[in-house]
Amino acid sequence: MFRDLLLRDLRGRFVGSRSGWLWVVLTPLLLLAVYGFVFGVIFRARVPAGLDLPFVAWLAIAMWPWLAFQDAILRAAASMPEHANLISKVPLARDQLALSAATAAFVLQVAGFVAVLVALPLFGVAIAPQGLAAALLTLAVLFALAAGLGFFAAALRVFYRDLDQLLPTLLMFAFFLTPILYAPEMLPDHLQSLWMFNPVAGLMNDLRAALLHGQVLPGAHTLWMVPVSALVFLVGRAFFRRLAPYFEDYL
Amino acid sequence: MTEPLLRVNEVGKAYPAGPGAGGRWRAILDILASGRSKGVKRVLGGVDFEVRRGESVGIIGANGAGKSTLLKMITGVLAPSEGRIETRGSVAALLELGAGFEPDVTGLENLRMNASFLGLSRADVAARLDDILAFADIGEAIHEPIKNYSSGMVVRLGFAVVASVRPDLLITDEVLAVGDESFQKRCIRWIERYLSEGGTLLMVSHNMYQVQKLCRHALWLEQGGVRAWGDVFEVTQSYLAWHERRDADSRERARAARLDGARYRVERLTLHPASDNGPLRIDVGDPLRVELALHSPDGRAPQALVGIVRADGTPVYGVATDHDEAVPARIDDHRFAIDLAFDGLPLLPGSYVVRAHAMDPEGLRLQDTVEAEFTVSGRSRALGLVELPHRWCTGDDADR
Repeated sequence: MFRDLLLRDLRGRFVGSRSGWLWVVLTPLLLLAVYGFVFGVIFRARVPAGLDLPFVAWLAIAMWPWLAFQDAILRAAASMPEHANLISKVPLARDQLALSAATAAFVLQVAGFVAVLVALPLFGVAIAPQGLAAALLTLAVLFALAAGLGFFAAALRVFYRDLDQLLPTLLMFAFFLTPILYAPEMLPDHLQSLWMFNPVAGLMNDLRAALLHGQVLPGAHTLWMVPVSALVFLVGRAFFRRLAPYFEDYL
Repeated sequence: MTEPLLRVNEVGKAYPAGPGAGGRWRAILDILASGRSKGVKRVLGGVDFEVRRGESVGIIGANGAGKSTLLKMITGVLAPSEGRIETRGSVAALLELGAGFEPDVTGLENLRMNASFLGLSRADVAARLDDILAFADIGEAIHEPIKNYSSGMVVRLGFAVVASVRPDLLITDEVLAVGDESFQKRCIRWIERYLSEGGTLLMVSHNMYQVQKLCRHALWLEQGGVRAWGDVFEVTQSYLAWHERRDADSRERARAARLDGARYRVERLTLHPASDNGPLRIDVGDPLRVELALHSPDGRAPQALVGIVRADGTPVYGVATDHDEAVPARIDDHRFAIDLAFDGLPLLPGSYVVRAHAMDPEGLRLQDTVEAEFTVSGRSRALGLVELPHRWCTGDDADR
């Protein structure tokens, strides 16, 4: 059933536009061009010293994984009210609805990410192919984390509609607290140690290390996050499943 | 004794307060801690019954009695606030036809999705696809988006998918009332075959005939509780009797309310010849006498208006005392009496109603209405309402 749901969610994002699938690739590329213009030409943003890279490439490597992470959580949170009719009339495993929404969102952004990686040579940056495997592991960890948080968000959203307003704002905070637009080294020294508390920040660094520097082995942070993200996923799902029988009461 | 397919044990449901009422963190903590949520609006309580294989159950009751809530809990869409529900074997539910269908997607895709909700794999669906399509009988429309379907087509598709699952226990909520005659018949035939092959049905229906035909037991819910549980005929008959009593009561109450302001009343309406039990039966052309006792609050003689209508309400004939300048006879200060006699009533066979109205002495306002039914029987094959004097004439008929 999960596969059917996932296909439906993927398709659902493009129903009504014949060329829908094209936009999966086109939108990220256009966005990449915009970033290239804004940060490269207007702001003349610089990568950290010692790296010989255009800023836009450095940004793109972290940007799309972040979008995937963020979209997965938001979509999962919206999945219960979206499927309210289904939930109130058809007995089915509701965690699959949330997981499929999160997965579809994540997969689509990763597809865009791939398009961006393919297009990056246009900006004079070659992606290191030997780092792909390590990057894949980091993305998998990021997905598990997003899905786990998505379960929490989806369950809480049923009880608290305010989450619709709160969640995007929280994620915006998290975006700026994660070194995506900037490098961790740019922060003052006394704040440096705070990165420990942002699980996504280290993943972004590992992605850059893998794809830009061709680091073959997965980063230490990624390895450490494998059990943590798995735990977040399982606890999130357990939380969701415990509350799920009562969704119809509150939805 | 076989194990029950479904055991509903002292089940109750209370819904939580609406959104914005607060206490939701509390609710989350309650559920996390105990797996239960305490509601405040109690809609169902103390429901206790079992369904064994082959012993289908009909759930009946007035609107708002809690039937749908009970079904939702049995299917698992809702969680009970008290008690337990245990099911064994495969269960499939049709709570609402077209539930889970997406309007923008083709019938075929929706069929696949719905089948997967019911636990069918892609391979199962592929194997049964021809059967499902044949049963749904919507032809090429299966490749069109559901939003272009008529409600009947949605029903057919929804039922066809469930029918293909052949669950041990099939749960339906008043869904057979939709769809055209021939599809309803097909559904009923399918259910009968399903039952004869050992299937078990749990249905909500307002159609007592259907319930009696398909079920062995019936559960009568009233205002969130079980009013009766047992043999289908006993329960449905007492349910119908209760309904009739309630309807009669409400008619009586409505009349009393009307009379509060009314001044002239029909105290009694009797038909002659009298009948011992049930509505009066007469033959075509028999005499009929309508006897009226009228009440006047001020001692002036009221006018009476008597009409005959067919059972469906079609008027046949109506006449008032002042049309013929008749005056009811005084019995005492407030009581008057008058009869209307039809020496030979030319009504064709059928059911009719005599309506007697009391009017003010000026004959301007209707102030009260009382009805009595009667039936005309006979062998006439003529069409319409009344027998009209007639003869057939041929071309060489002398007295044309």
